[in-house]
Amino acid sequence: MKQSIKSTLVLFLICAVMAVLLALTNAFTAPKIQANLEAAANEALLVVMPEGKDFKKMDLSSYTLPATVTEAYSEAGGGYVITITTSGYGSNFIIMCGVSADGKVTGTTCLSSSETLGHEKTYGANFIGKDAAGVDGVDTISGATKTTAAYKSAMKDAINAAIILGGGSVDIRTEEEILAENLATALPEGNGEFTKLFIVEVIEGIDAVYNANNAAGYVYVIGEQFIGVPAGTTPENATVATAHAILTATTTTEVDLSAYEGLPSALISASKTQTGNYILNLKGAGYGINGGNEYHPASGEYIYIRVSMTPDGKIIDCLTYAQSETPNIGSACADEKFYSQFVGKTEETYDNIDAIAGATLTTDGYKKAILRAFESVKILEGGAK
Amino acid sequence: MKNNGNLAILLKGILKENPVFVLILGTCPTLAMTKNVGDAFGMGLAALAVLLCSNVLVSLLRKVIPDTVRIPCYIVIIASFVTIVQMIVKAELPELDKNLGVFLPLITVNCIILGRAEMFAGKNSVGKSALDGIGMGLGFTLALVLMSTVREVLGNASFAGHAIAFLEPYKIKFLVEAPGGMLVYGCLIALVYVITKGKAPLKKSFSCAGCPNAANCHTACTELPADSGEKGDA
Repeated sequence: MKQSIKSTLVLFLICAVMAVLLALTNAFTAPKIQANLEAAANEALLVVMPEGKDFKKMDLSSYTLPATVTEAYSEAGGGYVITITTSGYGSNFIIMCGVSADGKVTGTTCLSSSETLGHEKTYGANFIGKDAAGVDGVDTISGATKTTAAYKSAMKDAINAAIILGGGSVDIRTEEEILAENLATALPEGNGEFTKLFIVEVIEGIDAVYNANNAAGYVYVIGEQFIGVPAGTTPENATVATAHAILTATTTTEVDLSAYEGLPSALISASKTQTGNYILNLKGAGYGINGGNEYHPASGEYIYIRVSMTPDGKIIDCLTYAQSETPNIGSACADEKFYSQFVGKTEETYDNIDAIAGATLTTDGYKKAILRAFESVKILEGGAK
Repeated sequence: MKNNGNLAILLKGILKENPVFVLILGTCPTLAMTKNVGDAFGMGLAALAVLLCSNVLVSLLRKVIPDTVRIPCYIVIIASFVTIVQMIVKAELPELDKNLGVFLPLITVNCIILGRAEMFAGKNSVGKSALDGIGMGLGFTLALVLMSTVREVLGNASFAGHAIAFLEPYKIKFLVEAPGGMLVYGCLIALVYVITKGKAPLKKSFSCAGCPNAANCHTACTELPADSGEKGDA
């Protein structure tokens, strides 16, 4: 008993004495360590803004900045150092960018990335001296589309952020936000919730049609113009009136595929409008299914594509309605930017579209499915067996 | 005779009982920190400082520390000195701290230091323990510097960061990689074995005969009369 009390006491005393020693050392070294850390942090800031002096970390809570901005430092000369966290080919792509008082990039450095080719380490130098307008003119690196696109948008975000922090105002809304605002203004009854309508009839002069999710009406887009047509009313604009009449009169009937011979296996179902146009649901081989070659349903997932087409083989509208391609890469086949390229294309011209960067197999599989759509319409037009 | 004995304690760590090449202790920092001479030297000195301080304190407290809790006590002492050294390095030599990285706090579990506390300082006077700490620390430092010299000069064509131009075309990149470190380590162990003609007291230092308390302890020490070569003739 006595022995164990002694042991405990000795161990306790040794701990106590060592703790005092540690505290003393810490009292001497802590301020120096802190200064060293600050110097190291400032060194990174000096890399992107060599002329910078007296950097101060900013509290960003009172500013509306692009969502990618994670940190900002102000500088005595009126410039800012902005840290952007975005995603390029991989996620967590962190870029630090210095922006001078006149809105020009003074330097950039990549703090962290998981890009594959290493371009992000040197590419930033191309942006030095550029302002918001000059960023787009910087050459892209071929084969590293995602990295360069991420870098450019990061530069724009940083420049915009610097302007906002400096008291200026910039439109930092994304394309989606601008569209949503336009739609809401054109048809307030829609409560801001709209779905892009899949067009099955040829309607002249109209770029897109949006349908209010609560059935309050339609919004027609002609160029920059957004024209709302509440349900039950007749539009004033002649072009819109014609389109609206065609749209509301459309009826479709399901086509019995078993009545036809030689239809491609990619065709899931088809229906026909009263004017003779076809609406085809197709499955394309994605990245997981020996993409781009032929259809191997044993593994992987399909890309599901809806195409509307005139009887003579011209695509009216195209839509990816389901897919499970690699996120951030092949999944771009579900972006309107990609599939809307097929609108207006025929069997001769459908191949002439921009591929999805980094997703050759997905693109090829998609194109193959579109080719099957042309073949299907030919067979369906040829008549039942 | 007494001085001779002290000198022997100091010198034995350098070659005869070199912690790295003979006792094969502390291999982890040895392999990790010998890519360049500067880091190796810094690592060696940091370990030397901790070894000296912990040896002295352990020796001072050797009569106070109860046998049952001696290992926890040693570890508290060693960990504290490591933290102190780490704070000082962080404050004064931030560059070295960056290079040593996790291996600096890992000195805590470096077997050389706990090994010397357990094998030597816990049983010997303060003066002898200090000499042992310096000797072992120097042995560790020299071993690291020697090994890093071989690796850096041949593997990276430089010495302590200064490029050696004429070696540039002949550098063997492999040597600065981990497997190269193993190879160099093995070769140096062999070299030391040859130099000491295989008579390095590897066995004794761990067995009863190598124990400084051997004379006071008769029962277990059957090996003692067989080899009494420990006369301080180094």
